[in-house]
Amino acid sequence: MYRRFLSWRYLLRRPINLIGVTGITVGVGALIMIISIMSGFLEESRQTVRGSLADVVVQPTILPRSDGTFVPREAEPLLEALDADPRVAAASPHLTWGAMVTQGGWDAAQTEHRIKDPDRSDLVFAQLVGVDVAREFQATDLRRALEHESEFGSRVDDVEHPFARPASYDGEEPWAWIVVGEQLAQIHDLHKGSVVNLVTAMPDSLTGKAYPSNRKYLVAGTFRTGENEIDASRIYMDRWELSDFLSDQRQYTQVLVKLVDYAAVRDTIEADLGRELHDLGLLNSARSGEVRTWESYRRSLLGAIENERALMGVMLGLIILVAAFTVFAILMMMVTEKRRDIGILTALGATRRSILSIFLMIGMWNALLGSTLGAILGVLGAWRIDQIERWLSSTFHVQIFDRTVYLFDHIPAQVSPLIVVSTVIGALFFTALFSSIPAWLASRTHPIDALRAE
Amino acid sequence: MGTPPDPSLALCARDVRKSFQIGGREIEVLHGAHLELKCGERLCLMGASGAGKSTFLHVLGLLEEPTEGEVWLQGKSAWTLSMADRAALRNRHIGFVFQAYYLLPDLSALENVVLPVRIAHSYGSVRFNKSRHEAEAAELLTKFGLGERLRHRPNQLSGGERQRVAVARALILGPEILIADEPTGNLDTGTGERVLDLILDEQRERALSLLLVTHDQRLSRRCDRTLIMEDGQIQADSTVVIPQ
Repeated sequence: MYRRFLSWRYLLRRPINLIGVTGITVGVGALIMIISIMSGFLEESRQTVRGSLADVVVQPTILPRSDGTFVPREAEPLLEALDADPRVAAASPHLTWGAMVTQGGWDAAQTEHRIKDPDRSDLVFAQLVGVDVAREFQATDLRRALEHESEFGSRVDDVEHPFARPASYDGEEPWAWIVVGEQLAQIHDLHKGSVVNLVTAMPDSLTGKAYPSNRKYLVAGTFRTGENEIDASRIYMDRWELSDFLSDQRQYTQVLVKLVDYAAVRDTIEADLGRELHDLGLLNSARSGEVRTWESYRRSLLGAIENERALMGVMLGLIILVAAFTVFAILMMMVTEKRRDIGILTALGATRRSILSIFLMIGMWNALLGSTLGAILGVLGAWRIDQIERWLSSTFHVQIFDRTVYLFDHIPAQVSPLIVVSTVIGALFFTALFSSIPAWLASRTHPIDALRAE
Repeated sequence: MGTPPDPSLALCARDVRKSFQIGGREIEVLHGAHLELKCGERLCLMGASGAGKSTFLHVLGLLEEPTEGEVWLQGKSAWTLSMADRAALRNRHIGFVFQAYYLLPDLSALENVVLPVRIAHSYGSVRFNKSRHEAEAAELLTKFGLGERLRHRPNQLSGGERQRVAVARALILGPEILIADEPTGNLDTGTGERVLDLILDEQRERALSLLLVTHDQRLSRRCDRTLIMEDGQIQADSTVVIPQ
């Protein structure tokens, strides 16, 4: 009772404690706000990265199995097995291949110019993806990417049949139709009806040589996934058309699988499905990574953001550590200043434990006030970060967050109660730890020495 | 542990020795001091500076542990008790009045007086009732002429007022023993007289056992007995019974 009373009184009567409270407020607030923003970035990035991928990718290796057999070159046996699996909601075969994009006429000179430019030579290469549209719509977000309105590029005339001749096309060219990424279209200045020449090569395992192949295509429209890497390099076309372009040497390279409940099986699906498909003779090996979740595919990107979040957490955690050290310094000063009080309290019957409690409580009041204020400010700051940034930018005429750099037009923030609680607990723990030293010293003060203190 | 003293004694010290380590040397300050304070008695302890009376007082007040010897209080050998039990004994049964008042500067006069009750409450021996205890403390301070100064902090009070607050604080829990160390030492003669009157009036009214340490012979004349301390010992022939 009197310990709480006295510690509170000492806290209020010494304005220097405000430094400790402020330090903890800033540390806790900044930590919660930054971690929330980083979590928001991570979640937004997850969704963006996720856009073009299904839950699971099955990619059989075209090598002899241990029993001497080969996995089927057709996608149908694998699709049948996946369609029959109760965990699977949809499966879509992909035929993915690399190609160079070239154009005719004046544009050919542009292509040559790009190839010669060390900084831009990679722009002439594209990733060709052959899909079965109906299955693809069920398994991935391709429909949304096709429906996306954009500043550059043009939507396909018929989303349900993106590789069909557009009704608006009045040209005579006989080539098959493709859909190109919005940024790829921008780089090559492609429009609906533009002719592109795709050049690729097929390795021959018997001769060891690669045989070039090229074919002209017509642009039916553009798509936008929101992921720069894909929008700048991918070209969608009908899978059978691409297979034909590749001289029928491949019919599919992977199958994208959408699960009924991804979250429930995310940790086990790779191993379980891999083993089951291998037992059916549809995979080369049960353990060679032929079945991967989308998170495994994007591990490096997601891992980088997660690492950044962890790093920011550690760095901002140091602010709390410094604030706790400030409380330590303030308490050390107070113990010296209150030496005589310690003697008086002992003479009046206070125990060592009580003296320890009083000074420990002062530290804890600092931590409690600081972390409560910090948590409130941090959560409010995270929730309102977009408005705060806009206000700061307009007030100081400095662009703090460049919305054109990111794929989202707002600063994302995701406040997690776990982060808030663990940050507050961390602040309380470190302050308690740092307060315990001066509190212990206070409790060890000899009452007579303390009473003689001036 | 020796035999318990006569129950009529409020405080009894036997063969108290106290040494300090100073500069690697052991210096004995108390050389087997004895003291018996009867219930309701006014006992004066006098002695020259450096005679060891302050150290003896701290040992008797359970603030300084003796190197040897016993201090009996409430039928218990105090220095054999645990630290917490000794603190509780100090809180409930001994009232201290110091020369330098020793009030907490961050608390008002009223809060200073209530403080021992708050501490006692932490032992669970007293149920803390803020309004009741504050009323008691206010009544005591009013009785001591400080009714208008309840909310003043020590630095807003005169020396005499501070000492009266200290006396009220020492008495709030109704202790059996009051230890006063030079209670008038920092006060002018007139104020000192008034404070001493107040202490002695309360001692008589409450039948307290008073141990008064002083240099002032006038104070000793108002006590039942005076002991002279010399060279860390109570002189055997120093007991002087002074008629009232």
